[in-house]
Amino acid sequence: MHLLPKFDYYEPRDIGEACKLLSQLKGSARIIAGGTDLLVNMKKGLLAPRSLVGIGKIPGISEIEPVNGGISIGAHLIIQKLVEFDLIRKKLSVLSRAASVLGSPLVRNRATIGGNIVNARPAADLPPPLIAMGARVRLKSRRQEREVPLDRFFRGPGETVIKPGEILTHIVIDALPPFTGGDYIKLMHRRSLEIAIVAVASRITLDGPDGVIRDGRIILSSVAPKAIRAVRAEKALIGERPSEGLFEHAGQIAATECTPIDDIRGGAGYRCSMVGVLTKRTLSGALREAKGQ
Amino acid sequence: MKEYSVINTRVPRVDGRAKATGKARYADDLSMPDMLYGALLQSPVAHARIRKIDTSKAKKLPGVKDVVTAQEAGAVKFGVSPARYDETIFCIDKARYVGDEIAAVAAVDLETALEAAALIEVEYEELPVVLDPFEAIKEGAPVIHEDFPNNIGAEVHQEFGDVEEALKTCDLVRTDKFVNKKQDGAFLEPQACLAFYDPGRGLTLYSSTQAPHYVQRTLAMVLGLPIGKVRVAQPCVGGGFGPKASASTLELTTSLMAIRTGRPVKMAFTREQVFWHSRARHQFFHELTTGVKKDGTLVALKNTCYLDGGAYSSFGIATVYYAGSLLGAPYRLPNMKYDGYRIYTNKPANGAQRGHGGVAARAAWEQQLDIIAADLGMDPIEFRLKNIMQRGDITCNDFNMSSLGMKECLEAVRSGSGWDKKKGKLPRGKGIGVACGFFVSGAGFPIYRSETFHSTAVIKLSEDGGTVNLYTPAAEIGQGSDTVLTQIAAEALGVRYGDVKVSSGDTDFGVDLGAYSSRQTLMSGHAVKQAAEEARRQVLEVLSEQLNIPVEEMDIKDGLVLFKKEGVDFSALRTRYIKEHRGWTDPPSGKHFTFVEAARLAYLARGTIVGTGAYKPGELGGKYKGAAVGTSPAYGCSAQVVEVTVDMETGQVTVDKMTDAHDCGFAINRTNVEGQMQGSLSMGLGEALFEEVKFDGGGRVANPTLGEYRIPTCLDMPNVETIIIESNEPNGPFGAKEVGEGAIMPTIPAILNAVYDATGVRINELPVTSERVFDRLKEEKERRKEV
Repeated sequence: MHLLPKFDYYEPRDIGEACKLLSQLKGSARIIAGGTDLLVNMKKGLLAPRSLVGIGKIPGISEIEPVNGGISIGAHLIIQKLVEFDLIRKKLSVLSRAASVLGSPLVRNRATIGGNIVNARPAADLPPPLIAMGARVRLKSRRQEREVPLDRFFRGPGETVIKPGEILTHIVIDALPPFTGGDYIKLMHRRSLEIAIVAVASRITLDGPDGVIRDGRIILSSVAPKAIRAVRAEKALIGERPSEGLFEHAGQIAATECTPIDDIRGGAGYRCSMVGVLTKRTLSGALREAKGQ
Repeated sequence: MKEYSVINTRVPRVDGRAKATGKARYADDLSMPDMLYGALLQSPVAHARIRKIDTSKAKKLPGVKDVVTAQEAGAVKFGVSPARYDETIFCIDKARYVGDEIAAVAAVDLETALEAAALIEVEYEELPVVLDPFEAIKEGAPVIHEDFPNNIGAEVHQEFGDVEEALKTCDLVRTDKFVNKKQDGAFLEPQACLAFYDPGRGLTLYSSTQAPHYVQRTLAMVLGLPIGKVRVAQPCVGGGFGPKASASTLELTTSLMAIRTGRPVKMAFTREQVFWHSRARHQFFHELTTGVKKDGTLVALKNTCYLDGGAYSSFGIATVYYAGSLLGAPYRLPNMKYDGYRIYTNKPANGAQRGHGGVAARAAWEQQLDIIAADLGMDPIEFRLKNIMQRGDITCNDFNMSSLGMKECLEAVRSGSGWDKKKGKLPRGKGIGVACGFFVSGAGFPIYRSETFHSTAVIKLSEDGGTVNLYTPAAEIGQGSDTVLTQIAAEALGVRYGDVKVSSGDTDFGVDLGAYSSRQTLMSGHAVKQAAEEARRQVLEVLSEQLNIPVEEMDIKDGLVLFKKEGVDFSALRTRYIKEHRGWTDPPSGKHFTFVEAARLAYLARGTIVGTGAYKPGELGGKYKGAAVGTSPAYGCSAQVVEVTVDMETGQVTVDKMTDAHDCGFAINRTNVEGQMQGSLSMGLGEALFEEVKFDGGGRVANPTLGEYRIPTCLDMPNVETIIIESNEPNGPFGAKEVGEGAIMPTIPAILNAVYDATGVRINELPVTSERVFDRLKEEKERRKEV
């Protein structure tokens, strides 16, 4: 039987107070948002923070807002909102799709986008589409505020560039160029309540409705210590006219760019092969979306 | 067919409302004043000699009321089959798997109990661990039980006919291997129990069990109590599927500490502990050799099976027999040979789970039959129909198919699924497959050899005449026995469904062996029917005396007394009844004399009206060793067609549609029968595609959660077309027999056969993960290149 260890609980009313608390409590505090990972790990005895700082009462970090044609998402937004909000469904359908396959309805209604990012699990569902769309994260501390591109945020499993005292407040995605599309496919054992065996997010920007590929991104998940970009596969796309053959080729390259392990969910060899298949399929999906189909 | 009012309908479950509204109370919901909370200390290592246990720190912790180890619990051995009692409440000399129970604590709250359990110091001398059954039988392997130096806890050798000679006469003989994976029961409610002790009245245990009777016997035997002073009763039980069919250390320890402290004690498993305790489906390694004639006639089957037993026997003696005896039927097969070995390993003990012992064997054989049909150029359904058994056939191992709608099931799924339009005509990546199966409708003997009745029942009419109280010790575990037995009582007595009030799952009500081996509808049903008929007879006898009409000229139906001849004047009796209830504003009226009036008058004449029933099977076939495992008063059977889509690039299998026909003899509750069919298919789908208990090198369960042990979600379950076949079983109450377990038999092989139809590859190892299919597709591609 696992019981929750004892801890002090704080509930700051604004971001300034939260930053102050974190700096006072130094390393002994953890932020709690949805708690779907944190409380489980505390019950298992993997984490034993002396204090938890709840950020649910802080105004301004649970909203989705259009900003200069782009979108700003509060870190405390629950994941189900990403599935439901029109703005996300229309402008960032790839994020919506990734959110819809995360965990179960119970988890999606508690867990937050910020939590899914800062926990830095190699199989997290939201970072791949966010990296594909060039998202940045805004980090606030008592003294400063900074923005970090998400693809430079992760260091490894559970490791990020976030400093003690910093709070992730917003995820910012700039306006996407025209003829841009994305897709996310998560390979799972069953249809729900799953952690990915392999997942891939892709994005394509064309230089016109029937033009060549101007920009492309391929993000591989669950096949490395963190979500990684298949850089060589991306390069192979640039300037090329999209085709099944090209996507197949990009998939083959991407399969060589990952470093999966054998674990309880799947073997390394299978994962590499699936990177190829999912890369090809997500690129096709992204192309359809880029063409407005 | 006779007209029925209450049975063969879709009346709602008696417990439906309470369960749907959250009012139902399960064991862990129970609470009593002064109750203590229990916690177990379980071995963190898979094989170790226990050098020393120091409980002094735990005992000193404020709030701790009892700490028990083997020293306090004693050395009385128990288990399931008396021939293999190999467990004690706590480890005495050795721990044999990760989770083996070492000690327990009772304290004023759960936090204190857990803390105290963690304060118990155990000195382990680690021993070599053996996890693989084939390693365990090698010379020089670590010995898990001293009495079994080669680690083979049980072996079976049976032959019917002459298999070697028969195989020589065959035109086609093929051998295939097959392996499933260790399963978890994955019932929604982890085991939990609450015990309290009164020096005068004895011990009472409320437990989440499938078999109160077996738990009662084991408690009495191990704790040294008179059996009459042990009462075991069920609150609502959230599923069992096999692992809850025997007494456990959880129940024994909770009871022991309740006796020692004189206070109620409650203890419950976490999900992790459910995985450690296990007692679910074994891993089976089958090798099957089947021989047929050119025209498709089945001639012989040779079956060898190794079972990974885990650290204790549990139900395993029965399992190792079932892995052989549940093949052959439902096909006419004159020659069958079986060699089975159940091997101890340092893993949680395996036991019984839905389709006990026969599920992997069935999957292996039905897939092999599919291959043979293809080799013979026969349609798999035609091939099966050619060999199909029918009512009255007896298998070579002496199972009497006193009713068998197998042919009807196959024909129903053939037309229900549109088989003839689809088989052989689907594009690559789409497939259709079929399989059959059968199962016992109750074991012929109790798990301990005895002449006991298997089920008893009591019906007591309330003295006012209005209500029928049914007391059945049968176990409602969610499968719906309370509902079915209520229906049987109402129909047999002639009252309405709502007139019967059922109380069940309590050893104070009598003997019922419990909810396992798909026995209760048939066996408890017989006892209840008999009790109801006896109560009915008494009421009619009193009426007969008072109205001077022969009993045969009266009937009770829908709560009314019916007279065969017209013009019966019962006004005097009605007046008497009304006088009994002066002041009541709802006197009976109308042209029919009611059961309520009749039952009151019967009470006035004879005192409380009680009817009792008791059932045990008659003489069953089989005089050979092991005949007790598989012989049954009746056999249910089923056929399924499964349609799948296989993603040829990822290997992912999607089950699109399932068509299932099951012969349950006669459906007492049609909705319940369909529910059992749907549930069986879901469980079979899970075992086929996802489920596997995994271990690390040290014997620790690597996935003891429902996150990483994957049972199907509702999104994984396709639409199921359920077809009920009713063959009218002569040995069943109203013609009824099993549905609870038999329905799972064809599911796995039907999926495997559909996957083959879609892909051209055979999968001989479960689960059929996308990775396994992908690997097989790749192998096949490379093999083709070489050719």
